[in-house]
This record gives sequence, C-alpha cells and structure tokens, in this order.
Amino acid sequence: MSTDTLDKGQARCPGAPSTQDIIAADKVTAPGWVRSESYQFLGDADIPKNRYIDPAFAKLEFETLWKKTWQFACREEHIPNVGDYHVYDLGPYSFIITRVTDTEIRAYYNACLHRGTKLRASGTEGSTDEFRCSFHGWSWNLDGSHKETVCHWDFPHVKSKDFALPQARVETLGGFVFINMDAKAPSLAEYLGPEALAHIKAWKLENRYVYLHVAKRLPCNWKLAIEAFQEAYHVIETHPQVAPSNGDANSQYDVYGEHVDRFISTLGVVSPHLYGKISEQDILNQFTLGDSSALGDTKLTVKDGGSARAVMAEMFRGMFEKATNTDLSKVSDSELLDCFSYTVFPNTFLFPGISLPMVYRFRPDPRDHRKCLYEVLFLRPVPVDGSRPMPAEAIRLEDHQSFKEAAGMDPGFGGILDQDTDNLVLQQEGLEASAKNGLTLGNYQEIRIRHFEQTVDKYVGRKA
Amino acid sequence: MSSSYARVVKSTEIPSGGRKVVEVEGKAIVICHVNNNFYAIANRCSHAERPLERGRLGQGWIACPFHGARFELATGKAMNLPATEPVVTYPLRIVEDWIEVLVEAAPPSGG
Ligand code: FES
Ligand code: FES
Ligand SMILES: [Fe+2]
Repeated sequence: MSTDTLDKGQARCPGAPSTQDIIAADKVTAPGWVRSESYQFLGDADIPKNRYIDPAFAKLEFETLWKKTWQFACREEHIPNVGDYHVYDLGPYSFIITRVTDTEIRAYYNACLHRGTKLRASGTEGSTDEFRCSFHGWSWNLDGSHKETVCHWDFPHVKSKDFALPQARVETLGGFVFINMDAKAPSLAEYLGPEALAHIKAWKLENRYVYLHVAKRLPCNWKLAIEAFQEAYHVIETHPQVAPSNGDANSQYDVYGEHVDRFISTLGVVSPHLYGKISEQDILNQFTLGDSSALGDTKLTVKDGGSARAVMAEMFRGMFEKATNTDLSKVSDSELLDCFSYTVFPNTFLFPGISLPMVYRFRPDPRDHRKCLYEVLFLRPVPVDGSRPMPAEAIRLEDHQSFKEAAGMDPGFGGILDQDTDNLVLQQEGLEASAKNGLTLGNYQEIRIRHFEQTVDKYVGRKA
Repeated sequence: MSSSYARVVKSTEIPSGGRKVVEVEGKAIVICHVNNNFYAIANRCSHAERPLERGRLGQGWIACPFHGARFELATGKAMNLPATEPVVTYPLRIVEDWIEVLVEAAPPSGG
C-alpha cells in the first residue's frame, strides 16, 4: 500500500512492527503509561531559522520564555537540611534555592536590595542561617525577611517589611525542585497536564539520587542542542554502531499538551534499516559486546523461535536485581530495556527507563546565542537501607574534551554523546551559511521538534 | 623550629559529614570528615575572617556560612567569590585512631 494516500502524519515505517507491537509481545506486561499513544499532526511548514542564529531572538527569549516557564533548578537532595542552599542560574537570572523548613523550599532572587550585589556567587552551594551581603553587610533571615541594615540611622526610609527578598515560585515533583518567575503562570500540575503528570508520578523519581553529573558547553544555540535529542531519526547515520540492537525508524512519538512530549525507542530489536541483514543472535552478540565484562563467561544465546529482546530482558532483570537488591519480577521488559525520552518544556529531559536513567538540562549562554550549557545527570535508586548518598557534584568538561573522559561515564555512551554533540557545531554554522530560510521536518519522527518550537513561538509571542 | 604532630581528637568521634574545632599552638582548626577522608583547615575564612566551622561540607570543600565562599579542604584554595585568597590548611595523619595535625610553632618573637 502506498503511504502517500494516508492523511498527513499517519504514515509509519513500512514493513516494521510498531513500538506498541514490540512491547505487546513482551513477557512482563508494561504499565499504561508505556502502552499508550498520543501523536498529533501539527503542520508541515518549515521552521524559520532566525531563532537559532539571531541574537535578538535570544534576547526575546530571555525577556519572555525564560521568565514564564517552569524550570528544573536542582534536586531536593541538593538541599537536604534546613539552611542548605543551591544557586540556580539561567542566563542573566540567578536564584538562591533554599530549604526554609523541612517541608518548604523557597527561591530568592539572588541580589541584595541595597545596591544589588549577588548575595551568593553563581554556581555555588552551601548552608547558612542568614543571607548576608558581602558588600555592606545587609542581611536577611532564612525565610527571606529583612534582618539588618548596617547603620540603620542612615536609612529611615528602609522599612523592614518592604525589604523582604523577592521570590520566584517553587514546586517539587519527583524529587525535582522547579521554579517559575511568573506569578501568573499555571501551577506545575496544570503546566504538565494530567496525562504527563500521571506518567511522571508513576516513576517515583524521588526515590533516586544523582550518582553522576557531567556538564559541558556546546557550540550551538540551546534549541539545536535540545532538538538533537528529540528524535531517533538520526541514529542510523550518526550512531551506526547501535543500529543492530536498537529500533529507530519505528520509534514512537507522542505529544502531551503544550509542554511535554516523548519518544519510546525499543532496545534488543534491529533497526528497520538493517532488516534481512541481522539475525536475532547477531542482535544479542552486538549488544553484549560493549559490556561483556559484566557478564563474565556467560554466553547468551537465542533459542529457536525466541527473540534477542526476551533474552536481554531476562539478563537486565537479573543484573539490576543484583545491583539494587530489589525484586524486579513485576517490572516490565519495556521499562527495563527501552529508552523513554521525555521533554519538559523548555529545557529538561527525563529518561525514566531503568537501563538509561538520566536527566538532561540545557541552558542558554547569556553572552552568546551560539553557545549553551549541557548537563547529563544519572539517577540511581537510593540504597535499600534507605540511606541517601550525597549527590554527585558536576564534572565540568572542557570544550575540547570527550564525554568519555568524565570519570564514571560508560565509554560506549560517552562516545554516543560525542557523536551527537559533534553534529551541532556543523549544524549551527550550516544554518548561518545556508541559502534556505528554514528547517524542514518529518511529520512523525520529528514531531517533538515542531511541538517544542510551537511552544517557543507561543512564549515569545509569535505565531507559528 | 619546633614542630611535631599533635594529637587532637579520636577519628571515631567525628562521623562522616561531621566536623570539630580543635586548638593547637593557639590556632583554631576545623577537622572535617568527608568521604572517608579527614582534613585540617584553619577556622578563619580568608574573606572577612569569620569562622568557617559551621560551613556546609561538600565533596572536598567547605562553604563559609557568612558570604558563601568555598574552599578546597585539601589545599585551602578559594573556589569562588567573595574569597580569592586561600585558607591555611595543615598536614594531618591518623595514628592508632588518633587524628594528629602538624602546626609549626610560631618562631619566638624577635628571634
Ligand atoms: S550592596 Fe548589599 S549591602 Fe550594599
Ligand atoms: S567571611 Fe567567609 S565568605 Fe565572607
Ligand atoms: Fe543521538
């Protein structure tokens, strides 16, 4: 059947099982949030390129988008005790995220109300019982109330009640602390929408901790960096080494309201690009190659009529049960194996799967619209004894360094991130050099990019 | 110049993540226990000379509670503003469960 006769956005990779077909054949059934679909066709016009290459657009984003959206500022575990604080910076903005009581976290604008000095240096953390300015010593209590004006006699016009530290809004979800500068913004729950909120709640990410955190500057606009991770369409060309054991062209794409979208990319199945060239046993051999040391001498084989995916699910289940000392017999094959990539607008990715439990965050460089800061955090379940390890602090890579050089990074995965990010400088420069004014997108596989950019348009006040 | 290691506290008295202020040769020193390592750092911030003892301990650093400067526990190096100068650190060793620090006695005045 020709796919040209279908409505726009309805065509799927011909001759390949869908992600839902693959998951439906698994032994341990996946939960509802895995087994649902929520694709929507959102148009097929080009995305104008000026948003990536024009510094005026970046300025507009700082004045609009970044002031109105919910942003992941830190994890609760970064500020476990009353008085702990963590400075979150976004472009020109800076906030002191502080635990005020056991149950309350606040985000203070990081600036003295006397002559403006930052109360805490950017990118720092610590613990205190007052915020005292290093310039003339004005101070504020942990709850933000004004504590002292040095030489009060000279400031009869400074009334303590008018000099509390201004705050951004704070909400927590799954162990993440989110902030929003806009007093009129919807609640975080409304912002995410009921369906995406239910997914995030189901993952219980509050029961994990950061065991590896790597940060690197990327030589491209922040939105290009985000979009490089929103589709699996690039996998066959950019990461050919993983194609024998990764579904790519048959990945599933979903959108939820304005602020959340996702893909599901299956593992332990061959890329549709390689159909007919790879056996089930080849899939297994290719996959185990990278991590053969963990398996010892075990040689995994696919029995007649069996699938590599089923063998891998059992292997992963055993490995993670051992590593985390938990019972995973009821955890679905899909959750164990597959890559679930969610974007929470504007700049956070959540990967709730078990094999690749990550968070990404992207932040624009306030001085250069062609640069951004990329962070990847790996989350592990907290140990069964309930003790919470200190979260890992960020390893900051130099611009020229490989992700493989970060201590604790799996070298295979570090290589994949290098491949992803190496494309980006070429893309940034190419867009600037191009005779074409826009980016052309696939209707299905690149729907997250269109969804993301339509929300960008909404916040900067332009029509898509 | 006379200098020898001085016993200050039993290592078992400072749990992981804890700290204790001791005095040797008239100098106040914070003994910090982080990630199975012990460090000895002067209890005096290089920024405005406030005590560091109540500062938060991170992975290898202490944050001054007054204005937030952080210092590497191993070297005393300032990691962020408002401090730029290092804080003094002292050699430390553990002998039979005792933490010992090396503080050089001040040379006799006029000598
Ligand atoms: S600027 Fe903060 S006290 Fe003067
Ligand atoms: S006294 Fe320590 S930072 Fe100012
Ligand atoms: Fe990639």
